Amino acid sequence: MNQADVSKLVSKLRIRVPAEPRKLRNIKGPEGRIDKLRKTVTGLIKYERIELNSNRGQEARQYAERLISEAIRHGDCHKPTMDIADYWLLEKELIHKLFKVLVPRFQDSNTCYTRLLNAPRIIHSRNPDKVILELKGNPYPVLGSNKMNNRFLIQNVLLDAAKYDYRQAKYAEFAKKIVNKEEKIDTTETEAPSIEKQQSDDKLTQS
Amino acid sequence: MFKAIVNKLNPLQLSCSFHTTACLNEVRLLTRLRVVDNSEIGKRAMSEGKPPRVICVYNKQRVGYIGDRVLVAIKGQKKKGILVGLKQTQKVKVPKFDSNNVVLIDDNGTPLGNRIHVPIPTILRTILKERTHAKGADYTKLLAIATKFV
Amino acid sequence: MSLAIRRTTELIGAAKWFLRRDSRVLSTLPEKVEEPPAELTSKRYRRRFFQNEAILETRHAYPEFLPDPNPNWRNSLREKLERADMLERRSQIDIPEFYVGSVLAVTISDPHAQSKTNRFVGICIERKGCGLRAEFTLRNVVDHQGLEVRYDLYDPTIQSIQVLRLEKRLDDKLFYLRDALPEYSTFSFDMDPEILPEGTPIPVNPVQVKLKPRPWLERWERQELKGVSNIEEHLKEKDRVRRELRKTPWEKYDLMKQYRKTIPIEDQSKIWAEVHNQLQQLQMARKKSARKRTFTTPKTQLG
Repeated sequence: MNQADVSKLVSKLRIRVPAEPRKLRNIKGPEGRIDKLRKTVTGLIKYERIELNSNRGQEARQYAERLISEAIRHGDCHKPTMDIADYWLLEKELIHKLFKVLVPRFQDSNTCYTRLLNAPRIIHSRNPDKVILELKGNPYPVLGSNKMNNRFLIQNVLLDAAKYDYRQAKYAEFAKKIVNKEEKIDTTETEAPSIEKQQSDDKLTQS
Repeated sequence: MFKAIVNKLNPLQLSCSFHTTACLNEVRLLTRLRVVDNSEIGKRAMSEGKPPRVICVYNKQRVGYIGDRVLVAIKGQKKKGILVGLKQTQKVKVPKFDSNNVVLIDDNGTPLGNRIHVPIPTILRTILKERTHAKGADYTKLLAIATKFV
Repeated sequence: MSLAIRRTTELIGAAKWFLRRDSRVLSTLPEKVEEPPAELTSKRYRRRFFQNEAILETRHAYPEFLPDPNPNWRNSLREKLERADMLERRSQIDIPEFYVGSVLAVTISDPHAQSKTNRFVGICIERKGCGLRAEFTLRNVVDHQGLEVRYDLYDPTIQSIQVLRLEKRLDDKLFYLRDALPEYSTFSFDMDPEILPEGTPIPVNPVQVKLKPRPWLERWERQELKGVSNIEEHLKEKDRVRRELRKTPWEKYDLMKQYRKTIPIEDQSKIWAEVHNQLQQLQMARKKSARKRTFTTPKTQLG
């Protein structure tokens, strides 16, 4: 049972944090791991959407979230936070982006600041799993909007076409039945109303 | 971490061959002890800088705990002693000492000296009473020569 | 009978209805709730923020109320029950505020001692554990023999804990006192309690200890200790090289490592909101009783 460290206060992350950090394989040990993550976090802040190997993406996400939450909590007049930003962002113009762009963007959000999506995986490939890590509110087109009610989703297009065909078939059947009945009941009557009905049916289907 | 440092020291060798566990400070065979009574032999051994060494611990584990009887080699002689203070991490409320202390006794449990000049844990009172049997050795005499209990 | 009951219920119902309606008429709330001006909300927010900060400051004095930071060992129900038990225990005996570096006197009931009580005085060199398992270690040198006793903070056999000198040291753990000269950890058993004037911040004792020559129990030179003065005297060139190799300057910036060691503010403020009031009351009660108490020098007890 360890005692919690009370010397520093941190705000809670809105993502799930695993109990143990992942080890990223590196010849330089923990130092190399942090260097790797620094590059990734810098890339994320710069490009706002990057594709990574799964392990590295998940680990870098935590660090990016922490960096942004520290920046939001302390602002740019806090010396230790500036030091941290200076360490984590290898390109120094990104420090301005962090405090001037990202902090106002995420200040009032009550969810996490990044999004992690699984990239499509090539079947039977031996490549490691890929993920896409992005900052929320980025200017790129939305990823992974495979909502089930999207009209242009291939399944929905096919289903719509199938429904249309089925309806057409049913209407044709009805029309045939009615024509047959009328012929049986009253052969003397003209066929004009039945034709009219058929036309109206067609209109309905078209609409 | 250690691997990384070893790599820094010696980039060709990729394994770390020494163990890095913290020591347990157990009283085992050949542990040096500190005699804390004023027996003649003990005083001389300590002043000459040749503290006694454990050559047997009289229990099943062969690791000495507080109140255990040990056989020590002191100044070329074999003497029995009782452990009255240990460096090892102790249970809650039992004091942990900065040195492994021993009080020399003879076979009947009578201390060789007549005064102990360091504090003695109070739990020893109960332990030694339990160890003493009516016909065997009487270890409680040791308690009588103690000056201070903690 | 039943008719009467029904009538009364009807009456009550009517009265309720009337009241509700009346109140609605009286209150005359507009349909749209006007948003308070931005300044006001920010002020209110700030006040709440400062209150929260004040509550969070209790974490230094009572760190054992915070749970273990490792999520594998968390159990919210157990933690809650433990906190209740801790407050219960604190209402039974006076567990004062103390820090690593303070000098304490602890009296326990000891079945092994002749007087059935045992008093030990020493400097607190470590506080660890959380919840009911919180521990602290006292160190003293008695008759030129270094001694350390570990106590459970919420042990039911503890009769009293008295703070003789309330102060902090430069480091969080004072294990280097084991290798320091004995005068730095020698405290007499009949030491008088030093009373700080009310409202003063906890003083930090800037004393720097001198270490004995090597061998040491730990490699103190690698631990960046502030409270040791003569560490460089005992080092060889080899040790300095090794120290440079072992340095981990990146750990200062390892944000997730820090995060995994602490409890975030949101969780902390929930816990402190739960216990803060009762702790405050206990503190007030202690102050009152301290004013009433007549001063008596504690007697030394032999075993």
